Amino acid sequence: MRKIAATVLNEFRLFRKDLAGVALLFLMPLALTIIMALIQDAPFREYQDIRFDILWVDNDKGKMALQMGEGLEEIKQFRLVRELDGKPVEAGQARALVQKGEYKIAIILPDGVSAEVVNSANQVANEMGQRMGAAGKLPQRESRPANLEIYFDPVTKQAMKLSLLNALDKQLTKVQAEIILARLEEKMKGEKGDSAGVEPIDLQAKMRAVTIKELSAAPENKINLNTNSVQHNVPAWAIFGLFFIIIPIAGNSIREREDGSLMRIRMIPGSYFSILTGKLSFYVLLGTLQFFIMLAAGLLILPRFGLPSLQMGSAPLALLVTALVIAMTATAYGVCVGSLFQTPNQALPFGAISIVILSAVGGIWVPVEILPAGLQQVAKLSPLYWALDAINGIFLRGGGLQAVWPNLIVLFGFGAVFIAIAGWTETARKK
Amino acid sequence: MLEISHLHKTYRNAAEPSLSGLSLSFGKNIIAGLLGPNGAGKTTTISIICGLVKADSGSVKVLGYDLATGLEEIKKLIGVVPQSIALYPTLTAVENLEYIGKLYGIGSRELKEKIRLYLHAFGLEKSAHKAIRHYSGGMKRRANIIASLLHAPELLILDEPTAGVDVQSRNMILAFLQDYHRQGHSIIYTSHLLEEAQQLCHEVAIIDHGQLVVKGKPSNLMTENSATSLEQVFLHLTGYSLRD
Repeated sequence: MRKIAATVLNEFRLFRKDLAGVALLFLMPLALTIIMALIQDAPFREYQDIRFDILWVDNDKGKMALQMGEGLEEIKQFRLVRELDGKPVEAGQARALVQKGEYKIAIILPDGVSAEVVNSANQVANEMGQRMGAAGKLPQRESRPANLEIYFDPVTKQAMKLSLLNALDKQLTKVQAEIILARLEEKMKGEKGDSAGVEPIDLQAKMRAVTIKELSAAPENKINLNTNSVQHNVPAWAIFGLFFIIIPIAGNSIREREDGSLMRIRMIPGSYFSILTGKLSFYVLLGTLQFFIMLAAGLLILPRFGLPSLQMGSAPLALLVTALVIAMTATAYGVCVGSLFQTPNQALPFGAISIVILSAVGGIWVPVEILPAGLQQVAKLSPLYWALDAINGIFLRGGGLQAVWPNLIVLFGFGAVFIAIAGWTETARKK
Repeated sequence: MLEISHLHKTYRNAAEPSLSGLSLSFGKNIIAGLLGPNGAGKTTTISIICGLVKADSGSVKVLGYDLATGLEEIKKLIGVVPQSIALYPTLTAVENLEYIGKLYGIGSRELKEKIRLYLHAFGLEKSAHKAIRHYSGGMKRRANIIASLLHAPELLILDEPTAGVDVQSRNMILAFLQDYHRQGHSIIYTSHLLEEAQQLCHEVAIIDHGQLVVKGKPSNLMTENSATSLEQVFLHLTGYSLRD
């Protein structure tokens, strides 16, 4: 125990002497986390709460256009631009603005579209009334199919197009259904008359028997959180920064070997294991501290830039244990890289680039869910994937230790493999 | 204090063996010199004695303990001063010595006192809190020796302790070694400075190509080889060709 404590103190002294290294180890990942969260805020918000301006050209001026417009405006994602410079937007103007790329989307409702929907509803109501033996007929004429025109800027993403087309289709169906139901009500009222004691039938209310309700799958509904730039980037880049601890670890191991201090330590009686434990303990504590500083940035700094505050779940113990295990894995990787290479010039570029690769496939840059299917399988070979998945399990899915223990075992496994490789390399070096 | 018998060692991927059946022994309480040209096998021999490198075959006994079974006991009894400055360059002398002393299990109070005494003895007390990297070559060598003395080893092994130091530092180091020997300790020492070895050592062993060439008292070796210095004996026995 004395050896472990002495080694932790010695590592602290070594670390403290390298103030530039301390600054880089803490400030660079902090800067990276803040910058990445800010940069990726827009892509994350695109399909969530960024509002898109849609040029709205209403040549119909009828009920249909009115209800569709109101319906679209209820969707937070869209904002209808009905006027430009105080004048209603015209069809030609809208097409030109989309063509120039000044607006991404334009919707043109042709004259008579409302009348066409009403006519179609009357036709349906009359048809149904006739089959039910009802007397009387609502006014109807021959159908004159009308097209609702929609223009997209070519740079508009396919997902965005689909989102809007679905919303429009839904609104169109809703408005048509409402008009048909209103016509049916009117027709049935006409049949029964307005005699006292007969309750009018609210067909539209009856048609709303089944609704959609979004709920959280988290235990006891503890959390109901959508991912956003902060929720993804802060833990992701904190893990990335934590793994960069391998640079000082690998560098120090090689320097110790080069300057002979490792040789001196190895000549001291007793197992080298306690000295190694001391070294690892220091870096595990350092990595964990660094990780929580990154999380603190998500809580305290990012909201000052207008981003949402990081939500950290409700399992502090699970978070602490997970952070310690991630730091342990990163430290073991540092020891492994330090033992595999002869010089800092070999180890440091390998270490840095390997972390970038592991982070890219591990879902740090972009969520794994949007990677191609093959890469989603490759992601599981990266310890950073398991680390981020564990943190998401706590932050987004409201899990505790019970939820993340499989990830922690995998991370332990990675750590054990790294230490085994380091041990094997050191033994081989003795020969 | 040291018995080496038929020691063989060939490093992986090496074209030639480093040790080819080296056998030699040194008695207790002497200053012994292990001499030889570059690549003779001196550092490999020391590394094997300390347990840093495994021999392919042969046996080594240090202070009565067999290396194969008593390495831990041997480590407690020996102090090794490596050729390189095996100290953390960014830490001060006191910080380096505190760490090494604690790893040897020396109590805090005793350790503080030892560090103070040795820093004074080696003229480093004024630079005690200066980082090692700011030391001169001679100061680094002296601090390197102190680090191997803290646990009061019975046998001190030094690998070229005076390489690259000024005359004053060299004199201080040699005077200390003689004094340490007078206190009842044994010393094994390697050097390329044969005049220094002739002056310091009671017995020397010259090795070359991983084998013992000759062993004896410097004066006897000079007489036997009709030489006026140990350097002449050395060149006579190991040849004049360059060793890189």
